Amino acid sequence: MSNVIVPRRVLLLGSAAVALAPMSAFATGDVGKPAPAFSATDSSGKTWSLAELKGKVVVLETTNQDCPYVRKHYNSTNMQTQQREAAARGVVWFTVASSAPGEQGFVTAAQANELTQKRNAAPAAFLLDPQSRIARAYGATVTPHMYVIDASGTLVYRGGIDSIPSSNVADVPKATQYVRVALDQVLAGKPVAEASTRPYGCTLKYGSNA
Amino acid sequence: MLRLLALLLAVCLAGPAIAQSSVVKTDNVRTELLAEVSQVKPGEPFWVALRQTIKPHWHTYWKNPGDSGLPTEIAWTLPAGAKADPIVWPAPTLIDVSGVINYGFQDDILLLVRITPPADVTGTLALKADANWLVCDDVCIPEEGKLALDLPVGAAATPADAATRALFDKARRAVPVESPWPARFGLAKSGDPTLLVDAKGLKPGTIRDVYFFPAEWGPVASMAKQSASVTAEGIRIPLKKGDAKATTAPASIAGTLVLTEKTGDGEQRQAFDVVAKLDPAFVPGPAPLAAVDGSESLTLVQALLFALLGGLILNLMPCVFPVLAMKAAAFARLAGHERSAMRRDGLAYTAGVLVAFGAMAAVVIAIRASLGEVNWGFQFQSPIFSLLVAYLFFVVGLNLAGVFEVGSRFVGVGQGLTARNGTTGAFFTGVLAVVVATPCTAPFMAAALGFALAQPAPQTLAVLLAMGFGLALPYLALSMTPALQRLMPRPGPWMDRMRQFLAFPMWASAVWMIWVLTQQTGPDGVIYALGGMILIAFAIWLLRFGSAGTLGAWLRRGLAASAVLLALAAVFKLQDSPATAASASGGPSSGVSFDGWERFSRARMTEAAAAGKPVFVDFTAAWCITCLVNERVALETPGARRAFEQTGTVKLKGDWTNRDPEITSVLKELGRAGVPLYLYWAPGAERPKILPQVLTEAAIVSELQAKR
Repeated sequence: MSNVIVPRRVLLLGSAAVALAPMSAFATGDVGKPAPAFSATDSSGKTWSLAELKGKVVVLETTNQDCPYVRKHYNSTNMQTQQREAAARGVVWFTVASSAPGEQGFVTAAQANELTQKRNAAPAAFLLDPQSRIARAYGATVTPHMYVIDASGTLVYRGGIDSIPSSNVADVPKATQYVRVALDQVLAGKPVAEASTRPYGCTLKYGSNA
Repeated sequence: MLRLLALLLAVCLAGPAIAQSSVVKTDNVRTELLAEVSQVKPGEPFWVALRQTIKPHWHTYWKNPGDSGLPTEIAWTLPAGAKADPIVWPAPTLIDVSGVINYGFQDDILLLVRITPPADVTGTLALKADANWLVCDDVCIPEEGKLALDLPVGAAATPADAATRALFDKARRAVPVESPWPARFGLAKSGDPTLLVDAKGLKPGTIRDVYFFPAEWGPVASMAKQSASVTAEGIRIPLKKGDAKATTAPASIAGTLVLTEKTGDGEQRQAFDVVAKLDPAFVPGPAPLAAVDGSESLTLVQALLFALLGGLILNLMPCVFPVLAMKAAAFARLAGHERSAMRRDGLAYTAGVLVAFGAMAAVVIAIRASLGEVNWGFQFQSPIFSLLVAYLFFVVGLNLAGVFEVGSRFVGVGQGLTARNGTTGAFFTGVLAVVVATPCTAPFMAAALGFALAQPAPQTLAVLLAMGFGLALPYLALSMTPALQRLMPRPGPWMDRMRQFLAFPMWASAVWMIWVLTQQTGPDGVIYALGGMILIAFAIWLLRFGSAGTLGAWLRRGLAASAVLLALAAVFKLQDSPATAASASGGPSSGVSFDGWERFSRARMTEAAAAGKPVFVDFTAAWCITCLVNERVALETPGARRAFEQTGTVKLKGDWTNRDPEITSVLKELGRAGVPLYLYWAPGAERPKILPQVLTEAAIVSELQAKR
């Protein structure tokens, strides 16, 4: 074909723009900025909108039940424990399945409910995000990728669930649980000291049309 | 579930039951512990490697895994007194998983580790490595293996077999070397770092790909693409800040710079470990120039079209005009002749133009191959070229004026007027047209040239030939179309007068070339050029009379030849002239007036633009006629001056009469090969706008006063 756009240097010129295209999918969700708005349906058919949750602290947890790192935190009950603690303190905890259909981690509403039951999990809601809209808006790259949004709607934490990036259950008690620490600070009205940490886990399955 | 079973199985297999195994096979990776020695000498360090043979399409991770993933880890169990150094990582590759960027390895890799055995070890050295790694395709699986290797200890170290040693050699070549170039980085106001690697002397045309892999998560984001620019001055890579929430700017950024270089033997991937220090004085502009509005990125077809159009329009530009006028006169003379003669003439002219453009392409390609850098109008940055062209114009002018006629055995330039030798003459008129055309750029040409000069050789040639074809097209069309020929005036005595008249624009061109020369060499250039012209005129005069074969004729010829040689010797004088050296190093040239303008520097431009001021940048050169015309009719008119003043526009002028690396790099970033180039930063604009190459006062004023 005639559209031989091989000019490397010219391409470099253009690539600022080119680079922005894929970047925009992941560039947002900066700590200290208003958290990107979203509205999604949960596994029981209820629609949640972040805007309506002003005044409440919100946690987002990306999930993929077959990811070894997600399993590490469910098998050790670390995730469920933190979900219950958060609920007790009035925090709205969303487990979000953002895998594209056909990808590992994609769940239907029924599968999501079954999963919650099987994992004995206690999120406020299990959000279905098959088009990865929430994940994109927040720039999530892994499962589990964790976010904390304060009562004013500002993103105050993004990163890993804890400080030891491994798939070994035995590491959970030794690790600093970043989300728990962040919630303590947010609920005490303090700034989050470690507001952005390195997320670890499985690559989020955006699907090939991402 | 199956995978879990397999994993358990793998772990069991690698367990104590077969602790001696140096190979572990998991679902997706075959892992082997290799040593570069078959016998160890006590106390003498040696290398081992964890070799991962990864299932196709799957990957393991580098020390910085990127957006997701985890690096391979090795926990060693060694005899007391033995020591294992950290993993020496090969340069990673970029793996894009639906937009999530991973840094890792595919296929077959060796992770090198240096082991120092105890000085008192005897018998056998037992190495035990508990390795764990994450291996991903679109799904991720953590795997692990317990590996063991027993090595005999002896008085001397014995190398392993040749195949193993070859693996280690290959692995070492994949390890980044210490960067030979200093590097620094600056932070934009947004916090995004821009990396500058002081890699002088790179050949931009041969660097196919540049990527900076940050050594750790945090300061720099993992990017799908980095819009690096490579110039002879070095490499500039705008990066995005990472997610680490740092209260203070990082003092240094470490990482691995991977360049893919095109060499005679294909593409070579070269990796360098770079540690860049923060340079507080370097504040990258609000946006890379590359993101400029209106910067063209062309396809080859577009470039060819633009080149053709540019070539056509070039016919109307002042520099080519005298030659074309000659051509027109030649045509008028041919008017009465047969069609075939007309056609031949048109074809010869076209051939001349194309050959000249082809030769130019060859020169461009050759220069690029040896120097790595070439620009349009580059030949006018050489005083020698200016001098020779001045001579050429002068001689052609003499010919036109009738001072001498060129004999048929004397293939003179611009001889198209002599009907006798029409075809050759037409050919050289074509060549001449190209020679004089280069200082002019026409609309559309800039983008096409920018494209051509940055391309591999075949494309460069194609674009330049398209431009030549455009230049020749009107005459070719005329020669091929009898209907158009009928519109031409009838031949008659007016043609001789016309021809003589045309000598004057030729001489005017010569005067202009001498002026350009003085911009390059200083006032001394005038002496050499005008002196040389007198010598040439003298030589021509000598050759005009006397009959051939006599002693007098030979004497005259000898004398003429010496005169011409003397005239050409001025070339060497120019080369030696200190003024040349001074101007070649970017010294001021008086040909470009800075009255009311500041001298261009990138720092000044970005600073003024960042301060929210409107900024107008004029890249010009004394030898660029289009530039001078624009200055006269659009930039220096009272109306334009008033508009500049009222809007408080910062006026910067970049003089490219002589080589200037800073301006060259800006032009290059914008995909331009030459001047003129006009940039306008509207107040508070993030990026400049490229204005047309042919300016009008009205356009400038309305541009300046827009948004006001």
